[in-house]
Amino acid sequence: MIKVKLKCFSQVKYALGTGEVILEIEIGATTTELEEMVRDRADGRLDGVGLSVAINQQYVKGDVVLHDGDEVVLIPPVQGG
Amino acid sequence: MRLDPKDLDLWIKGGHSFTAIDLRQKEQRDEMPIIGIDHIVADERNLPISDKDVVLICQYGLVTEGLIIEKGLSDAYSLSGGVESWNTFLLDKIDMSHWSRQIILEEIGVEGQRKLMNSRVGIVGMGGLGCPAAQALIGAGVMKLVIMDGDIVEQSNIHRQVLYGIDDIGSSKVDVAKQKLKKIYGAASIEIIDSYLEADNGASFFRNLDIVIDATDNNASRELIDHFSKEYNVPMIYGGLYRYEGQVSVLNVNGSCGYTDLFPDHGNSKNCSEAGVLGMLPGIIGNIQALEAVKIILGIRPNLIGKLMIYDGMNHKTETIEL
Repeated sequence: MIKVKLKCFSQVKYALGTGEVILEIEIGATTTELEEMVRDRADGRLDGVGLSVAINQQYVKGDVVLHDGDEVVLIPPVQGG
Repeated sequence: MRLDPKDLDLWIKGGHSFTAIDLRQKEQRDEMPIIGIDHIVADERNLPISDKDVVLICQYGLVTEGLIIEKGLSDAYSLSGGVESWNTFLLDKIDMSHWSRQIILEEIGVEGQRKLMNSRVGIVGMGGLGCPAAQALIGAGVMKLVIMDGDIVEQSNIHRQVLYGIDDIGSSKVDVAKQKLKKIYGAASIEIIDSYLEADNGASFFRNLDIVIDATDNNASRELIDHFSKEYNVPMIYGGLYRYEGQVSVLNVNGSCGYTDLFPDHGNSKNCSEAGVLGMLPGIIGNIQALEAVKIILGIRPNLIGKLMIYDGMNHKTETIEL
């Protein structure tokens, strides 16, 4: 298992009830698997919310393998103005 | 009769009552708006009747001189040198000490200040983000602002939309915003478009803009701004809000990341009326958008081109992501 730090903003923060959480994932787990894990934990509160992904302050596209110690942000678009 | 810019300036200072009529085509008006004169737009074939002195304005003063002779408009004045001469005259005589506190910044200086004064910035949405962004840009000396919103002021807007008050409820947002912004700097040209951004009015709005501020509150409008921003190569300053948080990014600069690249799947995120927002947040984010606009106009680095900044007002932390 490896550990990644999930930094939470806007809908993700309110859905998980925390601004930051350390998650344990399988070696070789990807951003898609992490996102599924987070959506499960959110218990429906992120249903329908599109999420973009950044690893270590770098935006990534597609399914990317995570490494021990990575900092991940799942970025929801925010509509308010 | 001809009227020199200097004499027109004396008329304005002396409170002389007159009707200024801009006879130019829309493209010319967009490219070089008249600054410092309240005017109406008209076609030379349908000149409005006025019981005041009439000043006809074209780009160089030649069309209006010819029109006066051709139509025998012996009581009308042609602004000598047209908008070109008037704007140059006005910009040359503006008291630059008005911006002395920012001109002394080495990144700005007199040259940078003149660049700001000559830039043309569009704001889509005159709500929580648009109000502070417009206020800050006019304060900074941007003399050509185009503001677009089809909404009216409602009571629930006032806690965060700082240009509006109780007496403005029911009035057009862009009308009220123009009045308030003119009080900050009267010579600035504030063009208003009292409608929402749509596929069929985007082209005329974006043409000749230097920067567009995205101050909307929904993804559909943001996607339209993104589309036109790319098509007309106008950098887009994105801003969004959620409760105590905001996001800012400078998108579409010479092929850099755009809104739909950043959020290919926006899903069903909530706007302020659904999620709520604390009144100060739009002020913070709208001002950051204005700051980025000034930096992009002046080429100041670092900036948020190719970056997304997330600001959390609860603990004052920011997260900056490279795009």
